[in-house]
Amino acid sequence: MEKLKDALNFSDFSKAERIGLIIFSVFLLTFPWIGAGSFTTTVMIQFLLFSLFGMGWNTIGGYGGQVELGKAQYVGIGSYTVALMMVWWKVPFWVSMPIGILIAVGYSFIIGYPLFRLKGHYFAIATICTSLVLKDIFDNWNLVGAAKGIELPIHDHPDFLYMQFKSDTYYYYFIMALFYIGLFYMNWFRKSKLGYQLRMIKDDENAAESLGIDIRWCKIKAYSIASAFVAVGGGFMAVYNLYIDPASTMELSLSIKIALMAMLGGAASLWGPIIGAAFLVPLDRFLGSWLGGQKGLTGIDFMIYAGLIMIVSAYQPRGIWGIIEQFRKRGH
Amino acid sequence: MSFLTVENIVKDFGGLVANNNISFAIEEGEIIGLIGPNGAGKTTLFNCIVGYHRPDSGKVTFREKDITGFKPFETNRAGIGRTFQIMKVTTGMTVLENVMVGSFCRTNDRNTARGEALHVLGDLALDAVKDYYINELPIAIQRKVGLARALATKPALLMLDEVASGLNPTEIEEVVELLRRLNSAKKITLFLIEHIMEMVMKVSQRVIVLDYGEKIAEGLPADIVKNENVIKAYLGEKYAQGL
Repeated sequence: MEKLKDALNFSDFSKAERIGLIIFSVFLLTFPWIGAGSFTTTVMIQFLLFSLFGMGWNTIGGYGGQVELGKAQYVGIGSYTVALMMVWWKVPFWVSMPIGILIAVGYSFIIGYPLFRLKGHYFAIATICTSLVLKDIFDNWNLVGAAKGIELPIHDHPDFLYMQFKSDTYYYYFIMALFYIGLFYMNWFRKSKLGYQLRMIKDDENAAESLGIDIRWCKIKAYSIASAFVAVGGGFMAVYNLYIDPASTMELSLSIKIALMAMLGGAASLWGPIIGAAFLVPLDRFLGSWLGGQKGLTGIDFMIYAGLIMIVSAYQPRGIWGIIEQFRKRGH
Repeated sequence: MSFLTVENIVKDFGGLVANNNISFAIEEGEIIGLIGPNGAGKTTLFNCIVGYHRPDSGKVTFREKDITGFKPFETNRAGIGRTFQIMKVTTGMTVLENVMVGSFCRTNDRNTARGEALHVLGDLALDAVKDYYINELPIAIQRKVGLARALATKPALLMLDEVASGLNPTEIEEVVELLRRLNSAKKITLFLIEHIMEMVMKVSQRVIVLDYGEKIAEGLPADIVKNENVIKAYLGEKYAQGL
């Protein structure tokens, strides 16, 4: 009960932030009614999905300060668990999803244990490697469809057991609900014992150890929480796309996007991953589709994308949220 | 059995023997000073006890428990707190949050941790700076925050690595008062590395002297300053004559 209260308590934020959150929430709730085309709805779903990924990444990557670049493998674990259980045994989403989370958490403990012997760049490289290995396995594993991927059996609309719908509006509200669960969880997390301990680890590992913190265990715990978040998003991807393959769920670029969005928005802040996703997802989509249609301009969207990231990270390492806070401080 | 017993500690950094066969014991409630020239192995000895280094041989016993080779977080949970000579100037957490991390060592509840952190801050007269980030504070206050952080873990033995270096005489006076108060009111045993002789002599009840990794003397402050080996190795003739 106490935890739930903490999760719903935003009182330590400034008034502007709280009003912002309310306006944002009203916008999210009413979005499907205010002139949403199918394209914008897709973009919004992507935005919420990547916010969820980013919030998960933020536990270990933001608060814990570990450069984690292997989150895609957990997207894969989540989506493959849901898809395969549905194809093989007709298991409903609400059963396969928790199992997917459990597998992701179990797997994260197993690889997290050796992984967190490493620090800094070596850790970052190792996370990339573990993700690549898993993708290679799935690429060549015939039982799970290898590189061709797997298609999910289609059910009648609307199916709340298997979470299959014809209209994107249903998916939109579904991912929005997951987004809010994630947001409330993170709001509790940042004030929890683990949250504090991770920030200390990020600041000064030696001091953290002298304050009774088992650094490796803390990192593993945060890493598995991140993995659970990402696996949920992966499960959603499976029922939303109705088709998954290793390229769309376990690619290195997906891992990087997840980390990048959170970092660009502002790591170690509750709003950071949301802001990052709100910038990059539409940019990615709109620029991509607009410039992609123009003759001779294909690919320029990637340059703009990359340029923006470089500008923000050079100007303020704490991302867009860091820039906003900087201006606010100046205003006082 | 003593409160903390160190027996025959050896730490060899590939040819450089930082600690050679060091033994001593500390009783509960004492204030012990550890002195010696630069590179004598004082910080290494601290690290061997607390667990940042694993001694090559020897044994550390704390409250009748063998803690040799424990990790730093384990020795901390066993009741040993420590502060660092150089406090990393960080920007990520406020003073209150820093001290709360210390309190979280003994509780899982945030409100309890916050309450205890505020209590420690009040005790060290740091209330006024609780919402500052460490990089915004002068060095004397930073040191105190490091001390508050360690105190919040409720140690029975507190090991202080040059807590007074870089402070002016008034600030040193304050630290001396504070350490005495912690020792008498909170019954915390203190073990401190210190370069400022004035402070060592004032505050410690017993002094251990290291030189080139060996223990060359141990005794009452008044005897230590007259000890020939210590004068030769560390204090210098001038200091001895000035007494």
